[in-house]
Amino acid sequence: MYDIAPDHAIGLIAGLVAAPFAILGVRLSPIHRRVPVTVQIACVLMVVTGVIHFALIPVHLDSDPLTAFLFLGNGIAFLALAAAVQWRWWRLSSSALLVVTIVAYLFYVDARLEGPDQVGLATKLVELTALGMVLVPAPGEWQLRDRPWYWALLASALPALLVLSGGTVWVQALAHPDARHVHAGAVLQSTNEVPTNAQQAAATDLYDQTAAAIAPYADWHNAWAAGYRPSGSTSMPSTHWFNAAYGKAGYVMDPRHPQGLVYANSHHGPVLLGALFQMTHIGQFGPDPGGPLTAWHQHENICFSPLGLEFSLMTPYATCPFGAIDVTAPPMLHVWIVDNPQGGRFAVDIDPAVVAAIDRT
Amino acid sequence: MSQTSRPEAAFVLLVMQATFWLIAGLSALPFVLGGEVFMLLLAALSFALAAFTIVAAIHLVRRRRWARRAVLTLEWICAIGSLLLFVIPLGANKGPVSVLANLVLPVAMILLLRGKGMRARFGIAGEAPR
Repeated sequence: MYDIAPDHAIGLIAGLVAAPFAILGVRLSPIHRRVPVTVQIACVLMVVTGVIHFALIPVHLDSDPLTAFLFLGNGIAFLALAAAVQWRWWRLSSSALLVVTIVAYLFYVDARLEGPDQVGLATKLVELTALGMVLVPAPGEWQLRDRPWYWALLASALPALLVLSGGTVWVQALAHPDARHVHAGAVLQSTNEVPTNAQQAAATDLYDQTAAAIAPYADWHNAWAAGYRPSGSTSMPSTHWFNAAYGKAGYVMDPRHPQGLVYANSHHGPVLLGALFQMTHIGQFGPDPGGPLTAWHQHENICFSPLGLEFSLMTPYATCPFGAIDVTAPPMLHVWIVDNPQGGRFAVDIDPAVVAAIDRT
Repeated sequence: MSQTSRPEAAFVLLVMQATFWLIAGLSALPFVLGGEVFMLLLAALSFALAAFTIVAAIHLVRRRRWARRAVLTLEWICAIGSLLLFVIPLGANKGPVSVLANLVLPVAMILLLRGKGMRARFGIAGEAPR
């Protein structure tokens, strides 16, 4: 959802190139200069989305001729409507075409005929904006539409379509992540698929060294004395504790100096679940001695709130709750010293059932 | 003089922006259930901002001066904040959707509402409102 599909990049480039020409064309056209600004904007946006659809025809032609044919029809229709602003049925035709195009995309995403990506989402944003511009009443243009009920309908239908589009894309992206997006917001390091014997031995060695080194931190007072501090609420099932000095020192996968510890918040105090190694720079994955067993992960597109040091997920429209900012955490690797039947010793997540069982103790 | 539809175009963009904040507020709620209590405050603030944006959008169409000023202030803050996020190396998303929603949209709103002509249409700078 937050990536650009390689075969869709051409659509983005075409849209960017088309935009200034569309603006110039509308500004120079005597017919377009006579229509309201809202209609002019709608025309520019329809040209952009039309060109994006044209640009995507070649990449779909072999694999999906029907989609390529629909893109051709879409492109022609958008360009024709962008030109025919004085046509009597312009608003009705334009709004119908835009709604059908948006709904068709959602159908494709929902039916998993198309993966949601940044080009698709950006194009839908352009089309939703164009739809709003087509439907909004312009002063003195058509008094029948300039009524409170019409404005209320516009101000509720447009958000409804936005929520529907964003919701569909988000649900699909979360329900069917690709192989590298193991859970919401986390991107896995690329590795070989099956661990070799040497990698298995290295992973076991890393686990043994780490488990032995962090054993004293089973008593959280020792962790506190060593400089570890909770990084968020301790009222949640588990909390990551971080050591700022170890983070700054730049230790790389050093079992004696893990940048973080993870504790379950049980009724009788913190219970050590494991350690966490973290790199200092975004995009810099650490050494991977165990191959797929010890793949690092990077949390991307997360919304961080300085208030309470809490996290949520960025929306498909790239927004965060008021007061939170969109950040990416440098790559990290967990080592779980408690049984983690769902994912293993180095999994991105620990099984919530394991944490819940410990919390109940 | 008053026959411009720029405020109506800004209305559409404001409705979209308010929806983005509404969705952002809603997205925080599952994390509140997970124990992140401060996210409830952030969600409430997001809803309040979305509501204010809709009110401002309605009054913008009615050519109220305060609405134009409030929207311009809001959009300048959004644009500058987004630019800072794009520049500061925190790993903020710089994809096309992020650029469109967080930077192009506020900048477009500023371009729609700025200038002497628009000031005049909102009854500022000595000219009569419509």
